[in-house]
Amino acid sequence: MWFLTPLFFVGLASLAIPIVIHLIQRERRRVIEFPSLMFLRRIPYQSVRRRRIRNRALLLVRLTALAVIVAAFARPFLRRADVAAARSSAAREIVVLLDTSYSMDYGDRWTRARQAATNSVNGLGPTDRASIVLFSSDPEVALRSTGDRGRLLAAITVAETTAGTTRYGPALKLAGSILADSPLPRREAILISDFQRRGWAGTEAVRLPDGATLTAVPVSGRDETANLAVTPISLQRSRFSGQERVTVAGGVINRSGRAMADLEMTLEIGGRTIQTQRVDVEAHGSRAVTFAPFTIASANTRGTVRIAADPLTRDNAFHFVVSPAVPIRVLVIDRGGPASLYLSRALSIGDAPRFDLALTRPDAFTTDPQPNVDVMVLNDVPVAAASADRLARFVGGGGGLLVVAGERAAWPAGGPDILPGLPAAFVDRSRDDAGRMSALEYWHPVFELFRGPRSGDFSTVRVYGYRAVSAAPSAQVLARFEDGGTALAERKTGNGRVLIWTSSLDLLWNDLALKPVFLPFVHRMVRHLAAYTEPTPWLTIGQVLEPSPTTARAPTTGRVALTPSGHRIALDDEGPDVLELAEQGFYEIRAQGRGSAPPVTVASNVDLSESDLTSMDPREVVAMVAGHSSSARMAGRAIELTPEAEERAQHVWWYLLVVGLMLLGVETVLSNRLSGMP
Amino acid sequence: MPAVGSGAIPGARFVDPVVLARIGNLELVARSVVDGFINGLHRAPYFGASIDFAEHRGYVPGDDVRRVDWRLYARTDRYYVKEYEADSNANFSVVLDVSKSMSFGSRGISKLDYARILSACLTYLVHRQRDRVGFVAFDHDIVEYVPPSAKHMDVVLHVLDRVTAGRPGRLREPLRKLAEHFGRRGIVVLVSDLYEEPQTIVDALAPLRFRGHDVIVFHVLDPAEIDFTFAAASSFEDLESGEQLPVVPEAFAEQYRALVRSHVGALAARFAESRIDYTVLNTSAPLDHALFSYLTTRERLMRVR
Repeated sequence: MWFLTPLFFVGLASLAIPIVIHLIQRERRRVIEFPSLMFLRRIPYQSVRRRRIRNRALLLVRLTALAVIVAAFARPFLRRADVAAARSSAAREIVVLLDTSYSMDYGDRWTRARQAATNSVNGLGPTDRASIVLFSSDPEVALRSTGDRGRLLAAITVAETTAGTTRYGPALKLAGSILADSPLPRREAILISDFQRRGWAGTEAVRLPDGATLTAVPVSGRDETANLAVTPISLQRSRFSGQERVTVAGGVINRSGRAMADLEMTLEIGGRTIQTQRVDVEAHGSRAVTFAPFTIASANTRGTVRIAADPLTRDNAFHFVVSPAVPIRVLVIDRGGPASLYLSRALSIGDAPRFDLALTRPDAFTTDPQPNVDVMVLNDVPVAAASADRLARFVGGGGGLLVVAGERAAWPAGGPDILPGLPAAFVDRSRDDAGRMSALEYWHPVFELFRGPRSGDFSTVRVYGYRAVSAAPSAQVLARFEDGGTALAERKTGNGRVLIWTSSLDLLWNDLALKPVFLPFVHRMVRHLAAYTEPTPWLTIGQVLEPSPTTARAPTTGRVALTPSGHRIALDDEGPDVLELAEQGFYEIRAQGRGSAPPVTVASNVDLSESDLTSMDPREVVAMVAGHSSSARMAGRAIELTPEAEERAQHVWWYLLVVGLMLLGVETVLSNRLSGMP
Repeated sequence: MPAVGSGAIPGARFVDPVVLARIGNLELVARSVVDGFINGLHRAPYFGASIDFAEHRGYVPGDDVRRVDWRLYARTDRYYVKEYEADSNANFSVVLDVSKSMSFGSRGISKLDYARILSACLTYLVHRQRDRVGFVAFDHDIVEYVPPSAKHMDVVLHVLDRVTAGRPGRLREPLRKLAEHFGRRGIVVLVSDLYEEPQTIVDALAPLRFRGHDVIVFHVLDPAEIDFTFAAASSFEDLESGEQLPVVPEAFAEQYRALVRSHVGALAARFAESRIDYTVLNTSAPLDHALFSYLTTRERLMRVR
């Protein structure tokens, strides 16, 4: 029992003094001189004694009432540890939640965490059961509900930190489900973590089952943490002397209150350090570093920006993969002359991606296009039946086709049905007000770029004529003129896509080519038809690696993923379809079999938010999860509840005050009855 | 068993003892009481003059020849001696207990004061009957002694006026001394609160009785000693020994009253066996009862004689 304001017991002493004085005075005042005690002495002593005891009992009630009231003012409370010790020894179901995020590598946190988990297991009673849950961003049950202390300790011993980030919500939910399934009367979750602020958003709707308690065991000290982290890099591509060069710009964050001087920062390419820079970083500041450009020698070139070691090593390196840019090859079929002037000029601009443009005549389109052609453009040319068949095969094989429906565009009757709509009659908008584009589908990748305000205005485009197109049922109109006529429509055929633009891409029927939106509009159409996506130089741990444009050229069957730690994971029918990145470094996906495509390398980096070691008050988690202060328990010196908080949570003084008043009531009744007795 | 604190005779009620106690002159007090008392007894004149003729008896050698009735000798030629109803020259001694316990009083008058007035009244009354009056004050020893004499009325009243209670009392030793000292039979009136065992008291009085004294005992008690009307729990201190005893009156009273009744009853029985007249006096009651008791006893004694 502890007291928040023990000085009030002085009041107890001062209350005792008048009682003593009262007794003394009463003794003096009530001495009665009597002629003789001869008869009084004959009265049996027992009756006298009994009466005195009864009166003393009354006095005892009074003193107890006063003492209890004074004790209430002293605001007593019980330490949580005392309360816990006083609890019954009923069987417990314990879930030990052990934080394995990479921030636990800082200092001796992991050692302390494992020791805390070991202590929890060693504290199990003979009838207790425990589960070991390792968690970072996702929880994993290492051992579920067993009383075998040896297995539990072994599970703790083999546990290691991961490259994941801290997320308390899923782990606590899992603990809640384990506890909810337990038939044991006492249920408790023990959360062992460094309690990083970023791991708890406060919006997690996590509740432990009724009666379950949560014990927070923080392993982070109160000392200031010092940590340096390499920020994500940016790659700037350029061409020099026909070769592609990449400039790497990175940075370093100083998450401590101490400035770092002459910090060495290196750039490694292919495992070799090619550049080193020294920087000074202010306290709680950051510093950007740009390395000199280097030439990309081959695809899947591995690069790493690294700084010197500090107490937390995982965020001291940032990996990336860079490959020479792969251009989109575009074959334009036009009638010659300036018809494709603006189109070709637009496609000659751009580095990410680059466009390799080739022009040809309709009569020269006598064979299937080369396999390396990604997109074909029919720029206002009629299509022969044979050419239509070839185009159909091209699109079915995954190619993209853009049909510009000018005045000469025609599709053979009975030809393959691959177009979103056949160009029909000419609609002349030159007599009255020119037509304008409206009703654009901004959610579509072609127009997504223009969705934001001041991101391109198609309403300024004047259209003087277009071909009426009746969209096929399977086609989708992406843009219309203000009179309802189709401006741009799309149809997916086979593995490819077909777009039809119902006007021209020169200045004959509209002035689109003179508008700022022309170039991005053309680029977006071609990129969409080529199914192009930006290459991702790195991924973050926790992301899922799946067949994507980055890995599209990797074989879809018979693949094997080689993790940074050297483990092989088969990505086939017998293995997982996708691979969740769990390690920091480079994943390599290889196709099995002879003559297969070259391997694809993916860089995996830790989430830098975990490098922010700012800790939170564990009581916040406990309060949110347990929902009631009486269910919360704390462990460790760093987060012991203040006496004021414990006293406020228990309200013992209130109960004592009530008891004291009740005792006074009892005293009143008792004294009245005694005074009424003969 | 005498009634404790019994009522007075109608018409003979006197002034409250508390008021009498305020009068400093004991003679005046005694005269007021006794005169009023005698006047109230006119309706029932049991008592005549002490020199009234009672009977004749034959002369025996040793009789005073002056008491021979010569007229009867002349008629009968025989010697007869005249006997009278009362002896007008009896010794009357008041033996007053002045032990510390007699100083107790809860109603404005202490037992000693009450006993002092009573003694004065009896002395005055006896003195009017031409008896010799004496006085003895004792506690555990003889404190004051006035030998019986027809001329000692003033001395007795003076000594009565100045005696105080201050020491513990005993009955046996002082009374033994008195018995040895009193040569002539007389009337001995003991006024005390009798805080001793009944047998002890009777034994203490036995020497006086054995020597032929007529013993009258007035047992003076305060109302608080009889009714024990205390309320609050207190420590009771023995006036004589100084001993203290915690007492809860509401629990003690009934037993105490029973003990007092038992004590008085035992005394009455023992005194009756010893032919000692015994009267319990409540200091809240007027003195008429005491005087009436005395005179009744005297009348009875004279008849018996």
